Amino acid sequence: MAISFEQIEQNLKTEARKLLESGKVSLVLAYGRGYDENHPMPYVAKHPSDVDNIVFNEYCTANLARYLTRYPRRTKIAIAAKAADSRAVVQLIQEDKVCREDLVVLGIPVYGMKNFKTGEAIDSKTTGGLSNPVLYDILLGEEVHGQPVSSPYDVLAAYEAMDKEERWAFWQRELGRCIRCYACRKACPMCYCDPCFIDQNKPKWGEKSPESPGNLMYHLTRFHHLAGRCIDCGECSRACPVDIPLYLFHKKVAKDCEEMFGQAAGMSIGDKPVLVNFRVDDSDKILE
Amino acid sequence: MSFEPKILGIACNWCTYTGADLAGTTRLQYPQNIRVVRVMCSSRINPSFIFRAFQLGADGVLVGGCHPGDCHYNTGNLYARRRLAVTKKILEFAGMEPGRFRVEWISASEGNRFAEVVREFTEQIRDLGPQTQFKISQ
Amino acid sequence: MSRIGVFVCHCGLNIAKTVRVSELAEFAATLPDVVVAKDYKFMCSTPGQEMIAHDIKAHRLDRVIVTACSPLMHEQTFRKVLAASGLNQYLLTIVNIREQVSWVTHDIDEGTAKAKALLNGAVRRARLLAPLTSRVIDVNSDVLVVGGGIAGIQAALELANTGKKVYLVEKNSTIGGHMAQFDKTFPTLDCSACILTPKMDSVLQHKNITLLTSCEVSEVKGFVGNFDITIRQKARYVDHTRCNACLACTEKCPGKAVSEWDEGLVKRKAIYIPFPQAVPQKPVIDRDACTFFKKGKCRLCEKVCEQKAIDFEQQDTFTTVKVGAVIVATGYDLMDTRALIQYGYGKYPGVYNALEVERLFNSAGPTGGKVTLRDGKEPQAIAILHCIGSRDKNNYEHCSRVCCMYSLKFAHLFKEKTSADVYQFYIDMRAAGKGYEEFYNRIIEEDVKFIRGKGARVAQSADEPDRLVVEAEDTITGKFIRLPVDMVVLSPAIIPRGDAKDIARLFNLSTDRYGFFMERHPKLAPLSTMSEGVFIAGVCQSPKDIPDTVAQANGAAAEALTIVVKDKMELEATTAMVNPASCCACQNCVRVCPYGAPFFNEAKGVSEINEALCKGCGLCASVCPPSAIIARHFTNDQVLAEMEGLLEF
Repeated sequence: MAISFEQIEQNLKTEARKLLESGKVSLVLAYGRGYDENHPMPYVAKHPSDVDNIVFNEYCTANLARYLTRYPRRTKIAIAAKAADSRAVVQLIQEDKVCREDLVVLGIPVYGMKNFKTGEAIDSKTTGGLSNPVLYDILLGEEVHGQPVSSPYDVLAAYEAMDKEERWAFWQRELGRCIRCYACRKACPMCYCDPCFIDQNKPKWGEKSPESPGNLMYHLTRFHHLAGRCIDCGECSRACPVDIPLYLFHKKVAKDCEEMFGQAAGMSIGDKPVLVNFRVDDSDKILE
Repeated sequence: MSFEPKILGIACNWCTYTGADLAGTTRLQYPQNIRVVRVMCSSRINPSFIFRAFQLGADGVLVGGCHPGDCHYNTGNLYARRRLAVTKKILEFAGMEPGRFRVEWISASEGNRFAEVVREFTEQIRDLGPQTQFKISQ
Repeated sequence: MSRIGVFVCHCGLNIAKTVRVSELAEFAATLPDVVVAKDYKFMCSTPGQEMIAHDIKAHRLDRVIVTACSPLMHEQTFRKVLAASGLNQYLLTIVNIREQVSWVTHDIDEGTAKAKALLNGAVRRARLLAPLTSRVIDVNSDVLVVGGGIAGIQAALELANTGKKVYLVEKNSTIGGHMAQFDKTFPTLDCSACILTPKMDSVLQHKNITLLTSCEVSEVKGFVGNFDITIRQKARYVDHTRCNACLACTEKCPGKAVSEWDEGLVKRKAIYIPFPQAVPQKPVIDRDACTFFKKGKCRLCEKVCEQKAIDFEQQDTFTTVKVGAVIVATGYDLMDTRALIQYGYGKYPGVYNALEVERLFNSAGPTGGKVTLRDGKEPQAIAILHCIGSRDKNNYEHCSRVCCMYSLKFAHLFKEKTSADVYQFYIDMRAAGKGYEEFYNRIIEEDVKFIRGKGARVAQSADEPDRLVVEAEDTITGKFIRLPVDMVVLSPAIIPRGDAKDIARLFNLSTDRYGFFMERHPKLAPLSTMSEGVFIAGVCQSPKDIPDTVAQANGAAAEALTIVVKDKMELEATTAMVNPASCCACQNCVRVCPYGAPFFNEAKGVSEINEALCKGCGLCASVCPPSAIIARHFTNDQVLAEMEGLLEF
């Protein structure tokens, strides 16, 4: 079964128009045309007349859940959400940043999305191995079945196999290139702190200039802050202007959290984020 | 000159810090490489403290808290257990030797155990040699 | 710029033997902001303290570092010196160079080097310390006691006798609890009613006690010293201000329901008082059993009531009381042994549970104190089965603690009132209590038969269908026993009240795996809970006998009194606070706090911390991603600065 992007776009437009016309939501988070059709951009439709500007194609990788926390609490919002994006919505509901009843989730079952910079397929890297949204009110296409099942963690194998010096050198090289533009945290639906810890002056957690020690402090702490919360959308890596594969580190931490605490991020709105939770019988083995 | 590791200890006030005091009261001998910061609960430990300690040149970091179930604040160390486990995984995936960061539950009555853990950990860090990866050179 | 004074103690030779103290003081003088550094033989001595006080004035010090023994030893001593010298006591730093340096090494070079590193850290931290003041809050002097059993009664009376006003809330229509159902109490065999009813009456008469029966706590707001408790007064359909307790209504009432008081062995009326000595001795209408409520006509009680006290229109009402402390004493239930089908409770009329047997012995009970079976016959052989559901991995692992003793009491009373053979089936006898072992020995003398083996099954006798057979393994002889009896008494597990979970939720109490309320510390704070100002007493904490319950009730009353005896109370100074400008509203703090101190201010969109509940552990600060929470006295800045100092050399 092939994905019909045109059909999804049509359905998205139809549903968006209905929701805006009925006043059920005050805005629809969707995608609009960028400077060409390979570069769609996030688009906020606020009036029924905006709906014609909505597009959907294989380059619509942006995770629109990022924008949910930018509107005042209790704003009624409809959001177009692919599999990973829907997990971000679930995670934000868990964290009480948005209320389920204020949202209309327009689920998009899809595979074959492409990185707009490189054109390469992202399925095996940053979709959490899912094609279907985990939460939706309206599904904009047929559920995807029969796609090859791949573990979201398969891509880690090569890096886990490195010896520690090699891995240290790898991350030194990668994180050392960081120019501290903070596109990663801007793109991340879970990075809603303002100010970010690294922007604080009291305490000063790390250097703000783009040099190795400060970069390390920023990224390692950010990996910790996203532990058990990162939903593997890969936006941080695609947003990065110097292409640091941040998703690898996030994935590794997500894998560890899932193994240690038996819960993946953003799968069920009844869950409690793993690092603000505990079980009395958590094993001490996790500290070894 | 032989390598003398610098070890940062972070101990909770009620169990491990008191246990360390007991080691002193009973005159147990252990290497003087460890320098202990007292916090009220192991749950106070921000993961960034650990990253920062290594940047400041710690060759090893030892965290001590109450045994699970004995936390003075009831559940603090149960959160700490999860948070510090993740901290450890992050350090390891970044490429640090796993042995440089350790979490131990040491009660106020376990002066013996405190001395033993410090002895063992100091030896281990001595074997690993100086920590150069994170350390910010002056 | 701060002005730091460093005072290095020799502690005789305790420190000076393995740390070069004068070198340490000289080193201190080179550190930033240190304006004076001295060493002295005994810093905690009066001359030592005076030296510090003098230097605070002479050098206009605004930070003091005492380099000596553990802060757990003398932090308070030196804090007082600072306070007396007009300096905020939280500007003191103790460097522990005795327990954690001089006593754990023989090498003076190593000792001195480590002491220097610790002192360096302390100076870095001291520069960032802030003066802290404890907030003082008003304390409401009244106390709420939840539960009107012996624990609640005792606690309420103790407190009321000190002059404090007490609200005693009981969900039933009378106080007395389980103890009022008992006939005799072990090991003295004194009459339960004789010792309890005077206390129940004192509660009613006491001018400082507001007795609230047929009431339940429905909402708890506030915190230690300032609780706002909403109490639901359930409709009784009888106006107790009018009723003169003539009880004409209960005679005429045609409605029937099982008597909870008599454990369902007999029926009571729909308008009733649970038992003759009930307090208050005024009837209530059981809506579910009342003919009028069920069928829309009857109202016989109303017709006979000369006081016009019957009020079918009565509704539940809510009142709010303000109290400074709370004692929870909600007691217990017996496990429902119908679930253990092997014992046939509820199936064979000859199987009783312990509370039913208590009622059989009682002269005010369903049989007037005669031990007869449900068919009216006197039993010829009686088996008492210990540990039914308790000490049982498949049900409740805990020991219910009183069953051995009351089973002995039952045996004695059976012997006294019948000519039956009495058998005890036990795992082992637990008679640890004053006079308990002696009581056990006395019962052995009374020709009671003890079989060491847990009763495994109760079945109908094949030969004599109206008799029962108890099966067990006698673990002394190793033989399997089948004993024909007429009556089986089960000693079921004692478990928390069915609504203990609701109470726990209301008062933010933790519960153990069985649902008993958790004490703050099993040894050092057995009556306190994680909720400051809320105390527990009696079996709601764990199974216990009457003397222990009463002792706990007195203890809980004393604990509550330590709070309400003062009209102001000082809060912890080293609490956490939220910097609202940085709060990202993730509410992690709200999720993790064991004390419920942080809460989300929906209007402002930020978390806030109720300092009255904060214990200063700092957990919230470490789970706060944007570092918006400041753990006072252990701020991120202070800890990082100390680490920097420790690792510098």
